[in-house]
Amino acid sequence: MDEIFGAPGQLLASTIRNATPLVFAALGGMFSERSGVVNIGLEGLMLISAFAGVVGAFLSGSAVVALGFALAAGLIFALIHALMCVTFEADQIISGTAINLLALGGTGFLMVSIFGSGGTSPRVEGFGEVPIPLLSGIPVVGPALFSQSVLVYLMYVMVPVTFFVLFRTPFGLRLRATGESPEAVDTAGVSVGRMRYYGVALSGLLASLGGIYLSMGILSAFTEGMTNGRGFIALAALIFGRWNPIGATGAALLFGFALAVTFSAPQEVIPNEFLQMIPYVLTIVALAVFGGRAIAPAAIGKPYRKE
Amino acid sequence: MSARLRRALVDAGGALVFPLIAIAISFVLGAFIVLATGNNPLTAYSALVRGAVGSPTAIGRTLLGATPLIFTGLAVAVAFRAGLFNIGGEGQLYIGAITAAWLGVTLASLGALSIPLVLLACVVTGFLWGAIPGVLKARFGAHEVITTIMLNYIGINLATYLALKPLRTEGLVPGTDAIDFAARIPFIGLGLGRANYGFLLALLAAVVAYLLLWRTRRGFQIRAVGLSPGAANYAGMGIGINTVLALAIGGAFAAVGGGVEVLGVYGKMTVPFVTNLGFNGIGVALLGRNHPAGVVLGALLFGGLASGAQEMQFSTDVPLQLTNVLLAVILLLVTATKLVELLLGKRARALAGARLEKGLGQ
Repeated sequence: MDEIFGAPGQLLASTIRNATPLVFAALGGMFSERSGVVNIGLEGLMLISAFAGVVGAFLSGSAVVALGFALAAGLIFALIHALMCVTFEADQIISGTAINLLALGGTGFLMVSIFGSGGTSPRVEGFGEVPIPLLSGIPVVGPALFSQSVLVYLMYVMVPVTFFVLFRTPFGLRLRATGESPEAVDTAGVSVGRMRYYGVALSGLLASLGGIYLSMGILSAFTEGMTNGRGFIALAALIFGRWNPIGATGAALLFGFALAVTFSAPQEVIPNEFLQMIPYVLTIVALAVFGGRAIAPAAIGKPYRKE
Repeated sequence: MSARLRRALVDAGGALVFPLIAIAISFVLGAFIVLATGNNPLTAYSALVRGAVGSPTAIGRTLLGATPLIFTGLAVAVAFRAGLFNIGGEGQLYIGAITAAWLGVTLASLGALSIPLVLLACVVTGFLWGAIPGVLKARFGAHEVITTIMLNYIGINLATYLALKPLRTEGLVPGTDAIDFAARIPFIGLGLGRANYGFLLALLAAVVAYLLLWRTRRGFQIRAVGLSPGAANYAGMGIGINTVLALAIGGAFAAVGGGVEVLGVYGKMTVPFVTNLGFNGIGVALLGRNHPAGVVLGALLFGGLASGAQEMQFSTDVPLQLTNVLLAVILLLVTATKLVELLLGKRARALAGARLEKGLGQ
């Protein structure tokens, strides 16, 4: 077993590292989609934030500034998506696709403009590992779970927070109602458009945490197209987890595990390409089994117009 | 002027409202970006036009860039006529590319005769691959947007695996064996540089798509299902079979596009291979209002921008990636219903035809 999976502690640590950006983006997608706005632009939101974070770190040398840059970039791109989907009633799937292409094209353009060439940015100081005293001393599990970057700990916190906000606060209730039955929300005097802006904006902020973790948590530089489908895996986790924070996190961990094995398994046993298919195949199987009907927010994908 | 002709002209004009507004805004935005890089937008844009159509070589480059986008645009447009979103062009193109990379080498001894055989094989593999989301939708109710997105990465990984493992050849760039020149799609010549007859195949594909959709019983059914599933069902047209066929036919178009890239441009499949042709096909189809003629025009615009970008980067120092930004902005705006209303008023929007609207929740 060891030759496929590597040492258990290392595999667990790698699973957490691979799952972290997926969890952030999936939780982000949850806010957007629960409010009724499809977000297939998660990939682009992560990519632009991964880039903006590195630019921030490059200019200031400060991780905090970098985080600010990443959050701002994710928010701006998310607001573009919201502007299109909510205000201009553009097609949500098309807008999401455009967000992905805009992030890809925009980062390519800015790489040349700012750093003089495409490919990989100069190295910046990333988020180092911060072992948590005592907890990181637990054998095997300790170093894997509690000797990680601050962003990973933030991810641990965001899962219950997202659950709480969605299911235990008036805001969460309104947000979910906006995705299920916007007419009712409208009748109750709450602005459907505003709730959807909030949902999409939150998706941008959360996805940006996933993005900056890629470029400054796992690596210390930006590489063009570095999200490499992770936004779509996060979308898969969201669907596979049936639009529930706990389910989506579980799915993201499972998919993170598949990615972790990709790096440790020898090619002769299981080719990488097949491991990388796992999240997508599982999601299709899940959709086929659940039928896709009963689980998605009812009003998802439809612009809301007052009659 | 006959009433019919006038109606047709008004329809055509209305259909252009969304695309033209999207293109115009995108270019204005691009001008500001060019200014921000410290260049003159007029100089940059005139270089862009020169690089797109200014010389036979430039035109050839434009045709070369437009060719795969016509195929992936048709893949989106045909499915869209049945009311379906095909986001899977990327994966479908890869399936065709690996089919062509494998059979192109295997059948190379047949010379030019192998070209139609290989492309026919691409039709088959693309059709079968495209049918998967159709069956998943018709049989299990799985939404085609999600399944085609997921199938993109499954298809890309499958093709990558085949190119890197069973079909890999020795060489500096990882990928499949090079196909013999005799078995490749020949260059057009005429000073058009590397443009090949694949462009004419793409035009032929657009004609086939038109005839299929508007001149056959099956095409009528596909469009009927797209316009009004309830009525089509009532009239006894199977929604399931038309869903499967529309997506499968779309898959076939995109796969042939991948085959033409391999047989006409690269001669093999390398890893990494072309990217975003499938996604940009969505923009092409929407600019072309999901009509085959419009798809050709949209693809020429996209291909022209990509081609002109090289000249723009050469003449000014605006990075050629600017055009990727412009294309993304066009896609972002091309369905922005309310924006058109705000700019032109409700009457113009009504002219522009039905809203693009499709929920994910079913």
